[in-house]
Amino acid sequence: MRYYARKLGFYAAALWAALTLNFFIPRMMPGNPVDTLLAKFQQRGGSVSPETRRAYELLLGTNSGEPLWDQYFSYLGNLARGDLGVSVSVYPATVSQVLSQSMMWTIMLVGIATVLSFVIGVGLGALVGWRRGSWLDSVIPATTVLAAVPYFWLALIFVLIFSTTLNWFPLNGGYDVSLATGWNWEFISSTIEHGFLPALTIVVSSVGGWLLGMRNMMVSTGSEDYILTARAKGLRDRRILTRYAARNAVLPSLAGFAISLGFVVSGSVITEQVFSYPGIGMKLLQSVENNDYALMQGIFLVITLAVLGANLIVDLLYGFIDPRTRVRN
Amino acid sequence: MTQTSPLAETPDAATAKPVRRRGGFRAMLPTWSARLGVGLLLVIGIALFGVLGPMLVGDPDAISSIGMTEPSGDYLLGTTQTGQDVLAQLAHSTRGSLQIGLLVGVLATVLSAFFGIIGAYTGGFLDEAFSLFSNVMLVIPGLPLVIVIAGFVPAEDRGLSTIILVLAITGWAASARVLHAQTLSLRNRDYVAAARVAGEKRWRIVTVEILPNLLPLLASQFVFAIIAAIISEASLSFLGLGANGQHTLGTMLYYAQNGWALQLEAWWWFVPPGLLIALFGCGLSLINFSIDEIINPKLRVDARTAKAKAGGVAKEARAAATAVSPAPDQPDRELVLTVEGLNVVYQTEKPVHAVKDVSITLARGEILGLAGESGCGKTTLAYAINRLHRPPAEVSSGTVTFHDRGGPDIDLLNLGDEELRAFRWSKLSMVFQGAMNSLNPVISIHEQLDDVLTTHKPDMGKAERRARCAEVLRLVGVDPRRLDSFPHELSGGMRQRVMIAMAMLLDPQVMIMDEPTTALDVVVQRGILREIIRLRDELGFAVVFITHDLPLLLELSDRIAVMKAGEIVEYAPSGQIYERPSHPYTRQLLASFPSLTGERGAFVRAGGTAANDVNEGAAR
Amino acid sequence: MTTLEVRDLVKDFRIRAGLRSSRLRAVDHVSFTLHPGRTVALVGESGSGKSTIARMISRLERPTGGEIVATGPDGRRVGDRAYRDHVQMVFQDPFASLNPFHSIEHHIARPLQLHHKSKGRVDTRRQVEELLERVNLTPPEDFAPRRPHELSGGQRQRVAIARALAPGAQVVIADEPVSMLDVSIRLGVLNLLARLQREDDLAVLYITHDLATARHFSDDILVLYRGRVVERGPADEVILNPQHSYTRLLASAAPNPEKRGRSLAELPGAIDEQDLARSYDHTTGSWVSFENARPIAVAAANPAGGDRTQV
Repeated sequence: MRYYARKLGFYAAALWAALTLNFFIPRMMPGNPVDTLLAKFQQRGGSVSPETRRAYELLLGTNSGEPLWDQYFSYLGNLARGDLGVSVSVYPATVSQVLSQSMMWTIMLVGIATVLSFVIGVGLGALVGWRRGSWLDSVIPATTVLAAVPYFWLALIFVLIFSTTLNWFPLNGGYDVSLATGWNWEFISSTIEHGFLPALTIVVSSVGGWLLGMRNMMVSTGSEDYILTARAKGLRDRRILTRYAARNAVLPSLAGFAISLGFVVSGSVITEQVFSYPGIGMKLLQSVENNDYALMQGIFLVITLAVLGANLIVDLLYGFIDPRTRVRN
Repeated sequence: MTQTSPLAETPDAATAKPVRRRGGFRAMLPTWSARLGVGLLLVIGIALFGVLGPMLVGDPDAISSIGMTEPSGDYLLGTTQTGQDVLAQLAHSTRGSLQIGLLVGVLATVLSAFFGIIGAYTGGFLDEAFSLFSNVMLVIPGLPLVIVIAGFVPAEDRGLSTIILVLAITGWAASARVLHAQTLSLRNRDYVAAARVAGEKRWRIVTVEILPNLLPLLASQFVFAIIAAIISEASLSFLGLGANGQHTLGTMLYYAQNGWALQLEAWWWFVPPGLLIALFGCGLSLINFSIDEIINPKLRVDARTAKAKAGGVAKEARAAATAVSPAPDQPDRELVLTVEGLNVVYQTEKPVHAVKDVSITLARGEILGLAGESGCGKTTLAYAINRLHRPPAEVSSGTVTFHDRGGPDIDLLNLGDEELRAFRWSKLSMVFQGAMNSLNPVISIHEQLDDVLTTHKPDMGKAERRARCAEVLRLVGVDPRRLDSFPHELSGGMRQRVMIAMAMLLDPQVMIMDEPTTALDVVVQRGILREIIRLRDELGFAVVFITHDLPLLLELSDRIAVMKAGEIVEYAPSGQIYERPSHPYTRQLLASFPSLTGERGAFVRAGGTAANDVNEGAAR
Repeated sequence: MTTLEVRDLVKDFRIRAGLRSSRLRAVDHVSFTLHPGRTVALVGESGSGKSTIARMISRLERPTGGEIVATGPDGRRVGDRAYRDHVQMVFQDPFASLNPFHSIEHHIARPLQLHHKSKGRVDTRRQVEELLERVNLTPPEDFAPRRPHELSGGQRQRVAIARALAPGAQVVIADEPVSMLDVSIRLGVLNLLARLQREDDLAVLYITHDLATARHFSDDILVLYRGRVVERGPADEVILNPQHSYTRLLASAAPNPEKRGRSLAELPGAIDEQDLARSYDHTTGSWVSFENARPIAVAAANPAGGDRTQV
C-alpha cells in the first residue's frame, strides 16, 4: 500500500511542477505575449472583453502589478474549472474544444504504436538475450542504427518509399476528407490506412531501445542462481525463459518506461508534422507558428498529463508484477 | 566462499600464480572488438568530415543558377532548389550539429553528475530533494517543453546558446537517475568506509575514491547525451524552431522539406543529412556497447563460450562411455551413483583443468562429504554430475552412472536433452548455497514448488499438487501457510528450508547440497542439518554435501572426499579422515580449524610467549 | 600505548514504515575496555550488534548514547582530531575494502600522508615498503604497484592490516577479519595479527562469530545477543565453563569433530527464559540483571526450529 501511496504522491508533485512551470515560462520570457495575442484576436474579429483579457493575463502574465501569488492561485482556479482560454488560430473555438478534437487521434496513434513497439521490442529482446551467441545476435547492430535514426527522417524515407514511389499509402492526413466522420467501416479503414505509416515510423524507431535494454537484462538475468535452479529442476526451456528469466528481466524496462515514453512522445510530435496527422502534435506546431500561446500551453499541459497518466499506470502495473515493491521499507 | 557459479571458481584457481592484469585507467579502456572498431571508424570519420570538411568545400550559401541538379562531377551531391551545393551544406551542417551535440553533451553530463552523484553521496534531505527534482524533470516530456519555450522566444532571439541551454536543461534527468543509483551502491562499499576511517576528507572521497569508479558509467552517459542532443536539435531545427542562422543537419532537412525535395524525389538533398545523424548515432551506440561491457562484465561474450552448449560433453567422452562396470569397493554397499575418471576443462584461451580424474561412489542413504576450498573444483564437479555446468566448462572424459532403483543404469553423460531434463530433480535434486538467489524473487513459493510437479507429474490434479507442496513444507518444519509467501518475506534459514522442501518434492534418490548452510548463523545451521539427517533417516535418500567446513563434515557424513586443485587427494570414511589423515593437505585443513575445547594447536595468543610464526609463513 | 574505553554504548536505528517510525536498539548499554597488548573478542551471530559496535568505535556511526574514550600514553584523553591516529579498523571483506581503481601503494600511502607520518615522496615510498614487509608481502616493490584484483584474498587482507597500521594506530578493530578467507589461510592471517600486536603492543578488538578462534586468539570474550552482552570473562572460562544458556547454545551448535558420533538429531538446546533478562560476569562470578530489559519472545529467541514451536 505504501508503494502506491508514494507513487500517487510523486505524480501529484510532478503534476504540480508541470502546472507551475507552465505558469512561469511565459512570465520569464522576453516580450509581452498578451498584447501580441490580443492584437491577433482583434484581427480575427473577436471582441476583447475584460474577462478575455483577464483570462489571458492569468495564463501569460501581466503588467498590472497584481501580486504573483494572486495570479498563481487564480490561474490554478481557472485550470481546475477546465478553462484553458480561447484559441486565436482556430477562433472562436476554446482551447478545450480544440484539444478534445485532436486528443483522440494522438492517443490512438501513439498508444497503439507504443504498446506494439514495447511488446515487439521486449519479446524480441528476450529471445535475443536468451539465445545469446546465436545468429540472433546479428540483430543488435541493425537495431542500433534504427535507434539512432531521427523519427522525422525515417518518416520522410517511408513517405518517399511507400507513398510517393510505391503509392501504397496516402501521403498525409488522418483520414480521407471526402468521407463523413463516424463509426462506420469505410471511415475506420480509412483511418487505419492513413495511420499505418505514422505508426510504423514510431514503432520502427522506438523498438530498438526496448530490444537492447531487454536483451542486456536477459543476459544479466541468465547468470542468476534461480535460473540455474530452474534448470536443475528439469523445467522446460520455454518455462524457464518466460517465468524465470523474462519475468525478472522485464522489470527494469518497466521501471525505465518513463524515459522511453518521453522519447516516443517527443518523436510522435514531429512524426505528426511530417504526415500532417490531425493530432495534438501538429496542433502544437500550428499554435507555435501562429503565436497562439493559450493553445500552446493547453497542449503542453495535456501532453504532460497524458504522459504522467501513462507512467502512473505502468508504475501501478510494476507494483503488481514485482511483489517486493509492496512491502519494501 | 560466497560464489556459487562454477564459472566464478576458475579465476581463483588461476590466481595461485598471480597474473598481471590491467588496472587503474587501463582497466577502464574497452577491450577491442569488431563492434568497437566500426563504431570508432564511424564516429571519427564523421567528426573529421565535420572538422575538416568546411575548409575544403565552397560557400554553402552561394547560389548558382542551376537548381535541383542530381549528383554530378561538379556537384558531388547535387544542388538544392536554389542551386546551393549540397556537399558544402552537409559539411557545414555536420560541424554545426557536432558542435551543439558536444556542448549539450558536456553540459547535460555535468548537470546529471551534480544532481546524481552529489545527492547520492550526501544522502538525507538533499538527496530526497534532488531525486524528486530529477524524477519530475524526467516525467515531463522534453521536446514539447522545448517547443513551448522556443515558441515563446521570438525567432531573432533564438541564438545558439539559448538552444544549447534549453536542450541541456531538458536532457540531463535520465542519466542523473542512473548515476544516482550507481553512486548509492558505491557509497556503501567498504573501501569508502575505509577511506573515512583513514581520515580522508569528503571531497577527496568523492573525487578520488568514488569518481574514478564511475568513469565508465559517466562516459556511457556522455555518449548517450550527445546522441540525444544531436537528434533533439535536429528535430527542433526541422520544425523551424532551431537556433537562428545556424547550419545544422536539422535545418538542412527543414529546407529540404519546405523545398519540396520529397515530392520532387530529390533524394540527394534529404537522405545524406539523416543518414549522417543515424550513422553517427550508431557509431556512438557501438562504442557504448563496449563501455557497457566494462560496467557489466556479464554482457561480455566470449565467441567460443557463446557457441558452446550448456552441459556440454566432449565427443570423446560420449564415445568412451560404453561399458560401465561399477567396481564396488565394499560388496555390501548398494550404490546409487558412480563417477569414474571424470575430467572437466574450462575451454578458455588457456584451458583450466578444473576437475581431474575424479572417481567417487555414493551408496544408497549415504552422506558423502566433499571438502575443499574455493576454486578447488568441488562445485564444478557437483554441477558436472548433473550436467549443469555452463560453457566454457566441458566434460572432457569420464563416466557418471546413476543406478536407478528398480530400473536399468542411467549413463548421465549420454542422455539426450529431453531425457536429461526428465531425469533432473525426479531422481537427483540439488540445493544451492544462496537460498535468497536460488528462489525466483517475483513468484510465490507455491508457484515455484508447483512448477516442479506440473512439469514432472502432469497427471497430478491441482488439489493433489497443493497437498504435496504443503506436505514437503511441513516435513522441513515450515508452516504450510507460508506457501503463498514470496521469497523476500522469509528469513534466510526459512528460505533454505524451502529449498530443501523443493528438493524432496519428487522423492529423489540423490540430493546434492552445495554449501547449503554456509551463509547461515550456527544455531540456524544446526537446525537445518538436524532436519537433513532426520529426513535422510526417514526417506533414505543419499546426499552429496559440499562445504569448506571440514569439522561439520566430520560430524555429518559417512565418507569424505577432500579436494584440492581439481583432484581428490583423500577419500575415506570420516572417522579415518579425522583419526588417521594420510594426505598432508587434509592434515593442514584439519589444523586450520582450532578445536573449541581442546588444545591450542598452531594458534598463538597475543599475550603468549611462544613466537610460533611457522604457521603464518607456511599458510601464505 | 593507547587504551580505549567503551562506556554504556547505545545505538538505536530508526526504521521507517510509512509515516510511523519505530526504533530498533542494535546496541544496548555495552561497556568494555581495550588494554594495550590484550585482545578482547566480541562474539555473536548476525544481528547481534557486533559490527555496529565496530563502526561506532571507528566513528562511521554516531552512538545514540554512552561514550568511547581513547586515553593516550600520556594519560590524557585523545582529542577528536587525533582519534584516527590511534584507532583504526580492518574490514571483513578484503574484496570490498580495497578500491579496485587504486594501487596497493595508494592504499597505504594515503594514511601515512594524512596522518603526517611521512615526509616527502621518497620517505612515503620507503615506509610503504616497510609496512608491506611487516605483513609478509615480499618483495614489497613487487606488490606496491599492483591493483587489488591481482592479489588473492589473504594478500588483500594483509594490505588492509598494513593500512590500519600506517597511521601508527595503537588500537585495532578487526571486524571478522578472516571469515571471508579460505580456511587454510585464516590461521596465517590471525597469527600475523597476533605477531604485530606483540611487536607494537596493540590493543585489539576481535569481532567474530567463531567461538573457537575467539577462544584461542583473545584474552577476554564478550558474548553478544541482540545488542546486549550476556556473558563476559577470560576466554577459556567463557568457552569451557559457559554459564549463560545462549553461550551454551552457541557452543553446542558449533561443529566440533571432538564430539563426532553425537547424534545430530538431538536438539542443540534453547535459551532459558530467565536468561533473557540477565548476564553473567566471570570476573565477579555473579549474575547481573538488565535494567528495564525489553522482553524477547522465547520463540523468537530460538530460531533453530524454523516455524515449529520448540518442545
